Amino acid sequence: MSEEVHDWDSHKKTYWAVGIALFVFTFVTLILGIWEPLDLGPPGPTPADYVIGLAVAGTKASLVALIFMHLNHEKGLIYKTLLFTFLFFVSLMALTLFAAADPIVESYDTRETTNGKLTE
Amino acid sequence: MEIPYEVKPRRDTGLYNAKLGVWLFLASEVMLFGGLFSAYVFLRAGVQEGVDNPWPWGLNVHKGFVWLGFLNTLVLIASSVGVVFAWVALKERNWRKYQLYMYFVVACALVFMCVKGVEYNSKLNKHHGIKLVDNSVMEGAILDKTDRIRFEGTKAVFGLQGAHPAFLKDISDEKFPTFTATVQFKEDEEPIVTEISSESQLKKWFTQHRRIAAKKLTAERTRYRKELESGNAKPVNLNTSATLVSSEPFNVNAKPTKVVGHSDTSVNYRDGSKVEGKLISDDVKFVMHEVDLQLVLPQKQRDSIVWEVIGDDHAKKQFFAKQQEEYKKMREYYEGRGETIPDKMLRGHMLNLHYIDHGDHGHDGDHGDEPHKSEAKHSASEGDGEHHDYITVPRDKIKFMGNHGPRYGNYYALYFTMTALHGLHVVGGALVLLFFTVFGKKLYLKNPEHLANRVEVGGLFWHFVDLIWIFLFPLMYLL
Repeated sequence: MSEEVHDWDSHKKTYWAVGIALFVFTFVTLILGIWEPLDLGPPGPTPADYVIGLAVAGTKASLVALIFMHLNHEKGLIYKTLLFTFLFFVSLMALTLFAAADPIVESYDTRETTNGKLTE
Repeated sequence: MEIPYEVKPRRDTGLYNAKLGVWLFLASEVMLFGGLFSAYVFLRAGVQEGVDNPWPWGLNVHKGFVWLGFLNTLVLIASSVGVVFAWVALKERNWRKYQLYMYFVVACALVFMCVKGVEYNSKLNKHHGIKLVDNSVMEGAILDKTDRIRFEGTKAVFGLQGAHPAFLKDISDEKFPTFTATVQFKEDEEPIVTEISSESQLKKWFTQHRRIAAKKLTAERTRYRKELESGNAKPVNLNTSATLVSSEPFNVNAKPTKVVGHSDTSVNYRDGSKVEGKLISDDVKFVMHEVDLQLVLPQKQRDSIVWEVIGDDHAKKQFFAKQQEEYKKMREYYEGRGETIPDKMLRGHMLNLHYIDHGDHGHDGDHGDEPHKSEAKHSASEGDGEHHDYITVPRDKIKFMGNHGPRYGNYYALYFTMTALHGLHVVGGALVLLFFTVFGKKLYLKNPEHLANRVEVGGLFWHFVDLIWIFLFPLMYLL
């Protein structure tokens, strides 16, 4: 029954710290999103904004996965399972690249266009 | 029967069974949401500026929703922290604390869903958009369901096939009109005439006669096939349409999505049914909040139909003054870098019309209904006594209109699919955790480690739900 006598207090400290970090990162996400001086590049979302926005989200997600979901110390079988998930997920995202290679250039709009760009 | 390896890890996997199970489940969940995220990337990356519906982004468009989304993110993170501490409390064998943390988590889930409800209600019932024929877009709210075609019917014609005729749901009278229903299957037969005075009676009558029509049609076809063999076949000739004539005119508020077309004397539904009578009005009353000219070429924006529909020079001036301001900012940015402004950046911008002083309000009673034609603005009061200035939008100028529901654009389709699926996960997860809290005591007394493992597994799912939201928040509300 009592196979391990754990020091839960140090664990608790970590969990609090992660919780607070998640709150802080949420504020960071919000400020990055709505505060104009932090808007990179021209007004509106640009690739730089996506990268930074998703990097912050990714950091938060890894904190949750590693600490709250105990992935920082887990058995090998779970990592093996998740490796497959990761590969499939990446290829799923990569599928969208085919769209970039084969864009739809005709427009259903009535205005004059050539190669998807307005002629005027 | 005892289920093995609930507490003790299996020697080959090193895990207790439930944990391996939940991780396999989460792996499949990643793929489920992954498919939707990939759809998001595909649709968003594929937006053609100036041709497709612009992708709504930022505080400018999402307004209050950003704060709701932000609040929900905080709530979910708090609940995630709560679940971890509930598990730790179990490990420390502190039932009271465990219960408190778990109730906190369930309460968070409840708050999350309520906030979601506020958001959905606002999008589905309070915000509408109208795209005019030149692709200019007006954002605001359609007043009192005036997107419907208001029609006074005296006669209805429909086929005795399929479902109940579509116009039936659109009859808006409190008292159901008295109809005389007539069916005449063949010219040489006596017409069947029935008096109908209620909706249920009409439905019953419809089902009955639909059956008769089907039988007659089968008989006709059998006859035709037999006659074919003899080489002298008369074609199938059966009139399966029915006519309803009402003694007094009845009001129909036809839903535009169900209508193919309408004229001053008739409304034609998609299912083939048709109401004849008199058109009362098909103008849309619209409370205007914003103008969006992103789909109109910059040089054509000043002559856009939208200004004709609004009929407010002051608003137009304000719009272009604000646009110039935006251009100036952009020019400074690009010129500072020695570049020219890309074409797509010169598109229109949203303009909030809330702040515009409309001058005189209300009607002059003496002038009757339409004081001056040029004054497009009217004032209407709703049930709560709140006054709205509305404009009248002629239907022939409208290309598309609707609430901000899934069909309003790719963004809204994805927003509703992804957040609703996520919401279902929140509800499911919360129910499981609530179960562990309310009914867990027995197991806790018997084998606390077993309950701790269950909570850990439920918690893993809960963290995953939180993790999805961590990505949904920036993707749906900010970027």
